[in-house]
Amino acid sequence: MIVQLLGLFGRRLVVAIPILLIVSALVFVVLRVLPVDPAAMSMPPNATQAEIELKRQEMGLDRPLPEQYAIWLGRTVRGDLGASIHFRRAVSSLIAETLPATVELALLAMLIAAGLGFAGGLLLFHLRGTWRGEAADLGSTVLMSAPDFLWGLMFILAFGVLWPLLPFTGRLASSFARPVHTGFLLLDTLIEGRPDMFLDALKHMILPATALGLAFSVPIMRVLRSTLFEVEQADYIRQARLRGVSESRILLRHALKNAILPTLTLMGVQFGFLFGGTLLIEVIYSYPGLGNLMVDAVRNADLPIIQAVALAYAAVVLIINIVVDGLYLVLNPRLRSAR
Amino acid sequence: MSSRPVKKALGFLRSGRVLVGAALVGIVLFSALFAPILAPHDPQEQNLVATLVPPVWSVDGDPTYLLGTDSLGRDVLSRLLHGARVAMTVAVLASLGAMLVGATLAHLGGYFGGKLDWLIGRAVDVWMSFPPVVLSLVLMTGLGAGISSVILAIVLVDWTRFCRVLRAEVLVTRHQDYVAAARLVGFSHWRTLTREILPATLPLLITLLSIEMGIAVIVEAILSFVGMSVGANQSAWGQMIADARQTIYESGWNLLLPMLAIFFTVLGFNLLGDGLRRTLDPRLLQAREL
Repeated sequence: MIVQLLGLFGRRLVVAIPILLIVSALVFVVLRVLPVDPAAMSMPPNATQAEIELKRQEMGLDRPLPEQYAIWLGRTVRGDLGASIHFRRAVSSLIAETLPATVELALLAMLIAAGLGFAGGLLLFHLRGTWRGEAADLGSTVLMSAPDFLWGLMFILAFGVLWPLLPFTGRLASSFARPVHTGFLLLDTLIEGRPDMFLDALKHMILPATALGLAFSVPIMRVLRSTLFEVEQADYIRQARLRGVSESRILLRHALKNAILPTLTLMGVQFGFLFGGTLLIEVIYSYPGLGNLMVDAVRNADLPIIQAVALAYAAVVLIINIVVDGLYLVLNPRLRSAR
Repeated sequence: MSSRPVKKALGFLRSGRVLVGAALVGIVLFSALFAPILAPHDPQEQNLVATLVPPVWSVDGDPTYLLGTDSLGRDVLSRLLHGARVAMTVAVLASLGAMLVGATLAHLGGYFGGKLDWLIGRAVDVWMSFPPVVLSLVLMTGLGAGISSVILAIVLVDWTRFCRVLRAEVLVTRHQDYVAAARLVGFSHWRTLTREILPATLPLLITLLSIEMGIAVIVEAILSFVGMSVGANQSAWGQMIADARQTIYESGWNLLLPMLAIFFTVLGFNLLGDGLRRTLDPRLLQAREL
């Protein structure tokens, strides 16, 4: 099993690396057709033309595009992502600060999406064939029409402004000094042994994570429901029914177990989308993660950051896909024995 | 259980989707087309003595501004109507563009197979490794702000949605007997593709198109929210949301109204797509949920 897993990870990495290379090359080319001059932007406004030209040479902007890319790639592989034009700091440290925040938010949102998705899917299946089922089905279409950022804004309006229940800006109340160990705030507050801080951090995450999770729970419930429909046709379900096994036991012990795999595959794809969805949610909730960094960088045409953050997003999505494939292998006994 | 009214209700819940969806989309389309006539005010006209007027149904409402005014005293209803123009322009053009690129590649790849299909498949893989929002932001940085950039960015990001799903459908259709028969009779590749395969994939294509229009509305709202879509002299729903966020404590309506506009437009397209899928192709009912 472990050998198989390692083999899978190895094979997937072999595919993932060229994809990352192509992604980075694409981003590089797109950003180089920009009508702005990064060299001029990184200089004070009173710099002379000659000084800007010198900076251009220093940044390698006078060389042909493939050579520029090769230089950038060489540095990136060594962990040097360049310096931000706007913040005047190393991009790698900016990413190291923001990536854990985003991953933390995405994980919590995925947990909520999975919980709501499974509960909703079972409910939809349970109500099948009745008018309530049709209504719930229609309800899920309606829910699906509200994208994550609309949920986010709605929650701010409802639970932040009209009925001030939860905070909706940042990661932590300003009265706390943020502990830094891993970058994952929930973990860090626990390491510090500060349950009050942990609770505050969690409160800050509830609205953005629920907004994201809710939006992504709908596809999960719909796929779980339709997979359950298919599984229900199987002989072993009829057999169980003939043996007089109770409906709820059939659903939970027999049908759900077999419906979980396709649902899990979908959740993997969804998690990729959800991770992208954090971008706007972070902007709406002023949550200091990758998304806010990206939008700031886009507004300032801060190319080194845009390049690196885009690559970070792609890398996380690829890692998610590989992990989901691994999980699939662990959970599917049919794949495990096939050697 | 199977009494008549219940059956009737069930039937309406199913086929009613197309009707309700078409009605919603129709209303938005009508507003978009006739916005200059319907709008009671110039959407850019500022009235600085009447800022943040609440909608007419609140106590302090003013009948000159049916849905109130924003922080610069601009009429919200007029801005919503003109925002529909931007939303619908992007929805129609971007999704048609994405469909054209995605469907063409899907049909060519699925039909001819081989190296071409492999190449298209890998391109889809690369695209899918990017969260769509991130990719469109990168593209917008390269293309510069503006409505035509938004349309182009959506085409360049979302062609994969069509390509992925349609390619699978083409693969299934290609192995049907009647397609082989068409080739044996001596139909050219072009004729086989357009006359034999395309009619089979058309229901799925139309469904996807409708759903993509909803997605395009969302993406335009996102991009105008972060200030990358239309300029300040035009009104777009996302821009209205971004403005209203600044005055959220003074006026919740300013935030809620453009959100409702986006929601009902997307709902219209989704209901239409969902309904069309059920009506046009019953096979899809269970098998392909996404």
